[in-house]
Amino acid sequence: MFYLETGQYKTSYAKDQQIFPLVQDRVGMVVILLVAFVAIPLLSSNYWLSTIMLPFLIYSLAAIGLNILTGYAGQLSLGTGGFMATGAFAAYKLTTAFPELHFVLVLILAGVITAFVGVLFGLPSLRIKGFYLAVATLAAQFFLVWLYNKNPWFTNYSASGVISAPPREVVPGVVVTGASGTPEAKYYFVLVLVVVLAWMAKNMARSKMGRAWMAIRDMDIAAEIIGIRPAATKLTAFAVSSFYIGIAGALWAFTYTGSVEALAFEINVSFDVLFMIIIGGLGTILGGFLGAAFIILFPIALNQSLLAMGLQNAIELASHLEFMIMGALIVTFLILEPHGLARLWQIFKQKLRTWPFPY
Amino acid sequence: MDADAHSHEPRAPEPRSGRARAIGDVLLEVRNVTLRFGGVRALSDVSFDIKRGEIRAIIGPNGAGKSSMLNVINGFYQPQEGQIVFKGTPLKKMRPHFAATQGIARTFQNIALFKGMSTLDNVMTGRMLKMQASWFEQMLYVGRAKREEIEHRRFCEDIIDFLEIQAVRRTPVGKLPYGLQKRVELARALAAEPELLLLDEPMAGMNVEEKEDMCRFVLDVNEEFNTTVALIEHDMGVVMDISDRVVVLDYGELLADGTPDEVKADPEVIQAYLGVQHD
Ligand SMILES: Nc1ncnc2c1ncn2[C@@H]1O[C@H](COP(=O)(O)OP(=O)(O)OP(=O)(O)O)[C@@H](O)[C@H]1O
Ligand SMILES: [Mg+2]
Repeated sequence: MFYLETGQYKTSYAKDQQIFPLVQDRVGMVVILLVAFVAIPLLSSNYWLSTIMLPFLIYSLAAIGLNILTGYAGQLSLGTGGFMATGAFAAYKLTTAFPELHFVLVLILAGVITAFVGVLFGLPSLRIKGFYLAVATLAAQFFLVWLYNKNPWFTNYSASGVISAPPREVVPGVVVTGASGTPEAKYYFVLVLVVVLAWMAKNMARSKMGRAWMAIRDMDIAAEIIGIRPAATKLTAFAVSSFYIGIAGALWAFTYTGSVEALAFEINVSFDVLFMIIIGGLGTILGGFLGAAFIILFPIALNQSLLAMGLQNAIELASHLEFMIMGALIVTFLILEPHGLARLWQIFKQKLRTWPFPY
Repeated sequence: MDADAHSHEPRAPEPRSGRARAIGDVLLEVRNVTLRFGGVRALSDVSFDIKRGEIRAIIGPNGAGKSSMLNVINGFYQPQEGQIVFKGTPLKKMRPHFAATQGIARTFQNIALFKGMSTLDNVMTGRMLKMQASWFEQMLYVGRAKREEIEHRRFCEDIIDFLEIQAVRRTPVGKLPYGLQKRVELARALAAEPELLLLDEPMAGMNVEEKEDMCRFVLDVNEEFNTTVALIEHDMGVVMDISDRVVVLDYGELLADGTPDEVKADPEVIQAYLGVQHD
């Protein structure tokens, strides 16, 4: 009932084309932003900020990136980890070579470099699809991690191969990377970036570009006949997707773990991000956030509930259960609701709209 | 079928004379086109033309090469011999993208819609080439990106109204019944404001009512926007009623070319085409 849209007639297409056409949705968005910018930093411990919120935001960004490629443009990729590593190492090489360069610029350039690498590994998509493309991107994943791991140039010839992220300021006096950055500073920095990038992703998705991606995904022959260039469209999707994933990788190394190492971006990362978009919702921006929240919070919630049930040494049980439930969920979503949690949320809103009179 | 076709005979020779249309010069010419798939000759030395503003039907038995002909016209297949002359310019190679930029739009025999997208998004995608916004404007949703979304949305909504599919505007087209999907596909093709519209069996699998609606839409498009239409159709009644001239293909060869009445009276056509249907 409180989600009633009565009287909200969209009097122009401009209004209907807003990201959130309903007042309730806009209010909801403001509330979410207030929670993210005010309530969470006020109420959370530093521990919560730096071990839950940071990876959640960064994973969301990576999931938005993969969703552009896989959910919107229909190109299955298992190379997410490799592209995140590319972003991390690009940022590291840039910021050590040019320490005066503002860190935001470093991130953007790291994204651009990753975009180029993404396009390079996206070239096979011009000839192959589906399973074969997935295998090609898997090769990218292993190759890239191997490259950064084995080639000492990427780690500036450090002896251990593990390097800590150098401290960088976003405004004078506020360090947002490495060990010396405070959790609040890092959280705000990442939050602002993710909000801006998510908004841009939404804009692309609702414009000509996004429709071209979806057209290629759904029926490439018809897309071509309309005047969409399949090759350019696929490679643009690889570029934009890798740009997002590269920035996510750089943020992961510089703000979350504080160390730049290739082994942090192994194949399991690729799978985690893929599961996020499947559970969150393929082809939606919201899905990236929902999927990331789910994959990060679900194991914690499971552990806590097992503890609450009095199962003290339940760590092993928890991890088994986690795998089983996750697997079942992924299969269920793939078969029944490819639009994932994002779609369920929409259905829920639909119900609220008509409640208590469903007819 | 045979008898039905003949029952049209006593009617006025120009059933569409009441419609105000100007049939002009030649818009597209197919010149000596031969298309082979390995050993199969899908088209052998076919020549005909399509004039501005007319409704041109292509008929023939199954496997005659009708769909192949449309595929050659919009550059989807490359013929081994012959050429397509579009607006007076002979083209060595027609390419789908080039055809689209030249104002050729089409629908498919087996609907080729973007199944995961809504009706509105399908139609908006059809208007792709009219949009100029740079990726930067799209990313920030400013300038041309925003302006064009609104401006073209208005145009697409008009097409949606015209084809009476407003009710399914937001529905993913994969969930629509067959008849409506055919309409959405027509809407998507119209969104490009084509000069030449190629329709591959737009009424196949429809019931009588749906066919009547579709006929009305095709005639209206032709009349109101002066769009040239080339359509493949099996229903002889429909062909005789709405087309200005008819091309008959059989085993990849051009069997006859003329007005519906001429074609209908052609003994070879009766023998090869209508006769086959009668068996
Ligand atoms: N891509 C292709 N590869 C091989 N052979 C093809 C191809 N497309 C068409 N053909 C062959 O060319 C011939 C003509 O096919 P086409 O689809 O043009 O016929 P049609 O007149 O549209 O028939 P229908 O009425 O059944 O749609 C057929 O023998 C068909 O098998
Ligand atoms: Mg055919």
